[in-house]
Amino acid sequence: MTATTPPVAEPLTVRRARLWARENLFGSVPNTLLTIVTAVFLAAAVWGVFRFVFFTAEWEVVDANRRLFFVGRFPSDETWRIWVVLFTVAGLAGLSWGLWSGIGMKLAALGLGGLALVFAFMAEGDVAWSTAAIVALFTGAYAAARWLVRTTGYAGPARNLAVAGWLASFVLATLLLREVNTALWGGLLLTMTLAIVGIVASFPLGVLLAVGRTSTYPVIRLFCVGYIELIRGVPLITLLFTAKFILPLMVERERELSLLGIDVTFPGVEMDDVLRAMAAITIFSSAYLAEIVRGGLQAVPKGQVEAAKALGLGTARILGLIVLPQALRAVIPAIVGQFIALFKDTSLVVIIGLTELLRAGQQVTAQPAFIGKQAEALLFVALIYWVVAFSMSRASQQLERTLGVGER
Amino acid sequence: MAETTNGEATAPRDKADGRVGANDIIICRDVKKWFGDFQALRGITISIKEREVVVIMGPSGSGKSTFIRTLNRLEEHDSGQIIIDGVELNNDLRNLEKIRSEIGMVFQQFNLFPHLTVRRNITLALSHVRHMRKKDSTELAESLLERVGIPEQIDKFPAQLSGGQQQRVAIARALAMQPRIMLFDEPTSALDPEMIKEVLDVMMELAESGMTMIVVTHEMGFAKEAADRFLFFDEGLIVEEGTPEHFFTNPQEERTKLFLSQIL
Repeated sequence: MTATTPPVAEPLTVRRARLWARENLFGSVPNTLLTIVTAVFLAAAVWGVFRFVFFTAEWEVVDANRRLFFVGRFPSDETWRIWVVLFTVAGLAGLSWGLWSGIGMKLAALGLGGLALVFAFMAEGDVAWSTAAIVALFTGAYAAARWLVRTTGYAGPARNLAVAGWLASFVLATLLLREVNTALWGGLLLTMTLAIVGIVASFPLGVLLAVGRTSTYPVIRLFCVGYIELIRGVPLITLLFTAKFILPLMVERERELSLLGIDVTFPGVEMDDVLRAMAAITIFSSAYLAEIVRGGLQAVPKGQVEAAKALGLGTARILGLIVLPQALRAVIPAIVGQFIALFKDTSLVVIIGLTELLRAGQQVTAQPAFIGKQAEALLFVALIYWVVAFSMSRASQQLERTLGVGER
Repeated sequence: MAETTNGEATAPRDKADGRVGANDIIICRDVKKWFGDFQALRGITISIKEREVVVIMGPSGSGKSTFIRTLNRLEEHDSGQIIIDGVELNNDLRNLEKIRSEIGMVFQQFNLFPHLTVRRNITLALSHVRHMRKKDSTELAESLLERVGIPEQIDKFPAQLSGGQQQRVAIARALAMQPRIMLFDEPTSALDPEMIKEVLDVMMELAESGMTMIVVTHEMGFAKEAADRFLFFDEGLIVEEGTPEHFFTNPQEERTKLFLSQIL
């Protein structure tokens, strides 16, 4: 069947839709059969989910355990710490978005819709006010940033300030949250903390490893190759176990050593389980990132380095100004893919006894009142995972578009 | 005579005068280079004076590209001596970066930085090697683009330009460092025929302004008009050298005759 499809630009009419359907869905006998079979399965599946979500399911299990899902056993009178971090992030996100690129109408509508859903679900007392504050902060910062970009010439310095702000927010979050024993962290809070720390820490480490792997110094190259190949050859669960049970044997005990005749006392380092999980995830992810970045490095033509050398640029500047920007841009989709995998892999920390989002979803159904409500709880958990992962994927596309200017 | 904007070598070039008493800015003594078992350069000895325009020809694989790439150490020579402006090329990094910033190079494939605007392509090394202020480097970029005839392209990305325009930006980028020597490695070989002239015109103007130039090219028109001296390379050696007249009217070596008969 080789009929041409009508051009997209023409207005959609019933006649056009029928024409399209005839050409694409019912073009031949096998095609028609396939269409019917697929439609039947699709309809059954959609109807099944629809019926469950709106009729069969009893959502009290989610409603009554919101706190567990989102923050675990984080003490109520310390929750303000999380809100302060969220306010900071909302303001910075609005600012950055406004400074680097405008928000399209579609995205804005999607975001507002999502927020309305959250609001409908959480609108209750302080939570409602805090959510409203987040929206206000984001919108205000965004508007201010757009104004700055449009009417003044300070977009450049403001961008530097925003980057500094993000770094500062990391310090702020650490200072605020570490006051609460990490054994009490749980749910989405723990999942997001592990994912964000993992991403932020493994990215530079991965870039360093990738660059080190191409180094002309054999010691550095061998170390990087060894690290990457060793870590990639081991499952994340093994690393988590190692961090939980073997790391303490190595670092937690105070020990005295005699080095070259000098007595040295190594103080023991206390590591809590969350910190161990962070370390394991970072170590694991950085090895994969290193290989992705190496692919990007190889995609940069040799002539680029030669041209930069011929201008008198030194090795570090060639790497930072010429090679890495091109290499990283080429592999943004793969990098974000790795980050999404990392985000979902955080669910593995249950095996060292942490109650992240998925485990929280299982725990709530152990309560006598909610026995047998696994489907509701897990569906809710899946929805949260999907929203975050999907947002990351969209953000990556936006990033590609923003950076894609002048692509050859 | 077009104006030069980088403040150097503004006097019109007088070929006869330029040669007499001028210093040897490049001195090569018995330069050899191997790639594995293959010997690309088998002992190149030559001196090039300031303000001289040298055109290098030769069959492919004769070592001409390798030779000019050893002059700014994109290739390291294995033995022999290369002295640029009184400084010997060796593994001393300080020397190297200084010498490189005084030698401009234009490549066959342009090698512009695709992620940077034309402006940034030109000013990048100015701010990071010369530590020039942004205002000054932008002014210099503007005047250089004027000189190569494409001032309106300053905010575009390389991919938005034609091949000829890209190569002219590449020349402007090299000139921005105010080099004392310019190397051209087959600058028109990757261009569509209709764009070759616009690049050669820029090179002609540069030659007339008194720039020391070493050009690997097969463009006979440019060679006849601009060259002070010809070098003919074959199998890693300079087999014949002389003035353009000598070359085109009275070549001595069989290999030179054969080569010229093939490309003329």
